[in-house]
Amino acid sequence: MIPKGNIVATTIVGLIVAGITGFILLVVAISWFSNAPFGLADAPPQPIAFPHTTHAGAVENGGLGMECEFCHRNVTKGDSATVPALQQCWYCHQKVSGGDEAAQEEIDKLVTAYSDGVPVNWERVHRLPDHVRFVHEAHIRHFTQGDTPETQLEVKEVCTVCHGEVAKMEEVQPKKFQSLKMGTCLDCHRQYDVPTDCTICHK
Amino acid sequence: MKLTRRNFLAWAGLSAMGAVACDVFDDELKVQSPVSLPEDLVKGKENWYATLCRTCPNSEGVVVRVVEGRAKKIQGNPNYPTNLGAQSGRCDFGLQQLYHPDRLSMPMRLNGEKGSGRFDSITWNRALDEVLKELNARDGSVAMISPPMRGYSAVIADEFIEAFGGKRIEFESFDLKTYRTAIKNVFGKDIQPHYDIGHSQYVLSFGADFLSTWVSPTQWEVGYGEFRDSHHSPRGIMTHVDSRFSVTASNADRWIPIAPGEEGKLALSIAYVIIEEGLYPSGVDIESLTDGQGLSALNGYSPENIGSQIGVPDDITGAHSVAELIRTVAREFASHAPAVAIGGGSAGASTNGLFNLEAIYLLNHLVASVGEKGGIVFNPEPPIEELKGYSNSHTLSDVESLITEIKTSKIKLLFVYNANPVYGAPDWSGLEEALDSDDLYMVSIGSFINETNHYSDMILPDRNFIEDWGNDIPEPAAGYQTIGVQQPIVNPLSDMDPRSSSDVLLSLAQDSGKDSKLPWKSMKEALRSMSDQLFDLNRGSVAGSNKEEFWNNLLRQGGWWDTSAVADYSQQPRQLVNKIVSKDKQAKLSGSGEFYLVPFLHNSLLDGRNGEVPWAQGTPDPITSVAWQTWVEINEKVANDMGIREGDVLEISSGAGTIQGIAFVSPAQPPQVISVPLGQGRTKGSAYVTDRLDGESANILNILSNNKIDETGGLAWAATTVNIKKTGASLRIAKFEGDYESREVGFTEGEELIKTTSPGDHGH
Repeated sequence: MIPKGNIVATTIVGLIVAGITGFILLVVAISWFSNAPFGLADAPPQPIAFPHTTHAGAVENGGLGMECEFCHRNVTKGDSATVPALQQCWYCHQKVSGGDEAAQEEIDKLVTAYSDGVPVNWERVHRLPDHVRFVHEAHIRHFTQGDTPETQLEVKEVCTVCHGEVAKMEEVQPKKFQSLKMGTCLDCHRQYDVPTDCTICHK
Repeated sequence: MKLTRRNFLAWAGLSAMGAVACDVFDDELKVQSPVSLPEDLVKGKENWYATLCRTCPNSEGVVVRVVEGRAKKIQGNPNYPTNLGAQSGRCDFGLQQLYHPDRLSMPMRLNGEKGSGRFDSITWNRALDEVLKELNARDGSVAMISPPMRGYSAVIADEFIEAFGGKRIEFESFDLKTYRTAIKNVFGKDIQPHYDIGHSQYVLSFGADFLSTWVSPTQWEVGYGEFRDSHHSPRGIMTHVDSRFSVTASNADRWIPIAPGEEGKLALSIAYVIIEEGLYPSGVDIESLTDGQGLSALNGYSPENIGSQIGVPDDITGAHSVAELIRTVAREFASHAPAVAIGGGSAGASTNGLFNLEAIYLLNHLVASVGEKGGIVFNPEPPIEELKGYSNSHTLSDVESLITEIKTSKIKLLFVYNANPVYGAPDWSGLEEALDSDDLYMVSIGSFINETNHYSDMILPDRNFIEDWGNDIPEPAAGYQTIGVQQPIVNPLSDMDPRSSSDVLLSLAQDSGKDSKLPWKSMKEALRSMSDQLFDLNRGSVAGSNKEEFWNNLLRQGGWWDTSAVADYSQQPRQLVNKIVSKDKQAKLSGSGEFYLVPFLHNSLLDGRNGEVPWAQGTPDPITSVAWQTWVEINEKVANDMGIREGDVLEISSGAGTIQGIAFVSPAQPPQVISVPLGQGRTKGSAYVTDRLDGESANILNILSNNKIDETGGLAWAATTVNIKKTGASLRIAKFEGDYESREVGFTEGEELIKTTSPGDHGH
C-alpha cells in the first residue's frame, strides 16, 4: 500500500506532467489546423480567385507582366503593402473580360461588388503579431539601393526574396514558399549583417 | 484563496491554455479592398517641418506634419525656447485657417457703395496696379493699422509705410502699453521680461491670467508644470489676486477676489508688511527705494487700514480678517525665495492701472528677485541690428487720433493689415463711421471677410502662416537671444491664389521706387540675409560649416538662440516707492451700475481673431466649458436672489450701451462682479462666426465706457459698472459640464450616424 503522502506527491507530479503535455499537444493541434496567419495551415480560399500568374506573370509565360507595386501601391512607401481598391481593378475590368467562363465568373464577382459598393474582404495569407513591427518600404530600400549586386534589385525581384515567385503562383499560400515566421526574419538579418536586437522588430 | 504551490501551478496551467486557446478576432484575418480609391489610400511618407505658429500673439515654435504635400498636424517644437515642445490648443487652429472654406482666394475690388459688401474678384496685376496708383496719388497721407508685429514683417511694414510718409499703429483690444510702461518705470527696461516660474518657490500674481491668455501663456505653463512638479522641492506655492475666477485663479493655492482697481493698494500693503517686519533680504536697499523714509513712505497702507478698502469679501478669509490675510501672504511671499510677483490683465485695466502694475512689480525689488533665477529675468535685444527696436504697443487713444486724421482728410489711404479694429474698438470710438467715407481709399490684407475690411476698396488675400516665410523675435523670450523662423510648409491649394503680404509690400515699394530702406526682393531674401549675419556671429544653437548648411540647419531647427546671450541687470532704483505712492488715485468707474464689469479674453477666440475657426468656436472654455456663445458669469447667490437661472438671456446695460448674453451661474463668481468673454458678437464674415440666435452672441467691447488709463491712454476695460435684467427669453447654454447622462451611443436612429463600425460591418 502506498503511503498517503506519496499519493499526494505522485498526483501533483502527474497533473503537472499531464498539464505540460496537454499544453504542448494543444499548441501543436491549434498550429496545425488553424489558418496561415496564426497557425501552419493554408489560408481559406479567397472570395474572388485572383490569379497572380495572369496579372504579374511574365509575358512570355502568358501573363501581363504587371509590376507588383501597380496593385500593392504602398509597398515602396510605407509599412503595409496594401491591397488595391476595387475601383482600381474595375478600371481595367470594365473592358477586360475573362479568358474563359470560370475566369469571367470571378470578374463578375468583382464588378458586382464594385457596382454594389461592397468592399471585398480577402483572406489574409501572412499576418504578423501585433507586437512585431515590419516596414515594407525599409526592406525594399535595402534591397534596391545597396552597394552590392544582391542589394541592387528591381522591386519585383525584392518581393520574391520573402514571398517567392508569386508571379508563378496561381494561389498564394505560405507553404508555397516560406511561412515568414520569426526564424525567417532572423536568418535574413544575419545573412545581410543587419542587427538582430529584439527592439529592431519587436515593439 | 490562499496561494499555495498547487493553486499556483493550476492557475498557471489554465492561463497558458487560455492564452493559446483564445483565437484572434476574425477581422484580423481579413484584408479589405475598399470600393473606391480614396486619396488617402496611399499612405504617403510623413515629414515634419519646423516653423512658427501665428494663431496667438506669442508665436510659438511648432512642427507641422506634412503628408503628400498637405499639412495634417501642428504640435510644439521641442527645441524652441519659449514653449519647449508644449503648445497652446490654439496652434491647432492653423490647419482650419489653412483649409477654411470661407478663406479669400483672390484679390477683391469693391463693386458698389462703400460698406455694401459687394466685391469682384480681380487679378493680382490689376489689383496691385490700382493700389500703386492710389498710393502715388495719396503719397504723404497714408497710414497702416495692424496687430503688434515683430521681426522682418514689422520692419517691412514700417519701412514701407514710412516711405510713403505714413505711420503704422499697432492695435489690439486689450493692449499691453500700460504693462510695458510699468515694466519700464519699475525696471528701466523697454522689453518684456520673462518670469522664471519653473525655478520659483512662490508666485504672487495679480489679474494676469498667465496660464490661459495673458502674453505668453504656454511658456509660463511649462514653467508652472516645473513649479508644481514633484521634483521641485519644496512644491511651489501660488497666490492669485483677481476680480474674476480665471484659469490662473483656479490653479492657485489661494485666490483672493478683489474689486477692480484696488490691486495696487493691496500690493503696497504687502510691501508695508515686508518693510515693517523686516522680511526683506539683506541686500535690499530700503533706504534707496524709499528715499530714506523707510516705512513712513507707505503710511496709510498698513493691512489694518487697507483691508476694508479693497473689496475682498470677509467670508473668504474664514475666521481671520482681511488684514491678517494680507500679512500672511506678505510673510509667505518674503520667506519663500526666490519669489516672483506678476501683474497684468484686469489689474492694469482700471484708470489707475499703471499705478497698480508698478506697485505690484515693486514687490520684486523687495524680495530681491529682479534679474535672478526664479524671479524676473530680462531679455536682451536681438543680435541683428535691423531687428532692434520693433517692440511697440499703441492704444485706443492712438486709434482715436487716427480716426480724427481720417475724418479731417489728413489720412486718405489706410492699410488694414490682418487686423479687425472695427470689431476690436468700442462702437463709440467712431472708427466704423470714419472708414465709411468715400474720401478714404482702404486696402485690407487678410484671409477672411470681417467688420473692418467690409469697408475696403481693395482686399488682398494673405498667405496662411503655414504657406509663408517670416520670423519672430519672441517677446517675451526665455531670457536669452532668440529668433524664430517661419517657413512655408505647403503650397496654397490649387484654387487659391494668396500672396505673402510682406512680399506684396516689398513689390509695391520697388514699383514706386521707394525701396531705399528695403533692400530685399522678398521676405525669403531678408531671412537669408539674416541667416548669413547669424552665421557670421559664430555662436548660438545652429551649426553649419558654410552659409548654405547653416541656413538649412536654421530652417530645420525652427530658429536660432544663444543661451549665453542674456541681459544684465544692475540698476539700483531710487525713490521708487515714493514715485509709485504719488500715483495712487482711486480708480474711476463709469456708470452707477450694481456690478463691476470684468471682461476677459476668450480662451480660444482671444479677442475674436480666431472666430472663423470652428475648432476655436467649439473648444470649451476651461472654467465654464461653454462654447460657441457669449456667456455672462454671475454669482450663484446673486442669481438666486434675482430669480436668474442658467440659460436665461440677460440684458447688460452700461452708460455706453446694452448687449445680451446667456446667464452662467457660478458659485465661484464674486458677488459684485459680472464677467463676459470677448470674441463673440461678430456681424460680418463666415457663418461660423456670425450665424447665431438672438441673445447668444454679443461684443462686450461695445458697452465699455470711455475711460482711459492714466498716463498711457489705454482703454480702461475694467472700469465700467453695469446693471443686469432678465429679458424673459431663455436659451440652452452650449456647455459640456453639468449633470448630463453618460451613456453608450447608438440606440437612436440619429445616433446611427456616428456609430463606430469595423471594416467588416458594411452591410447597411
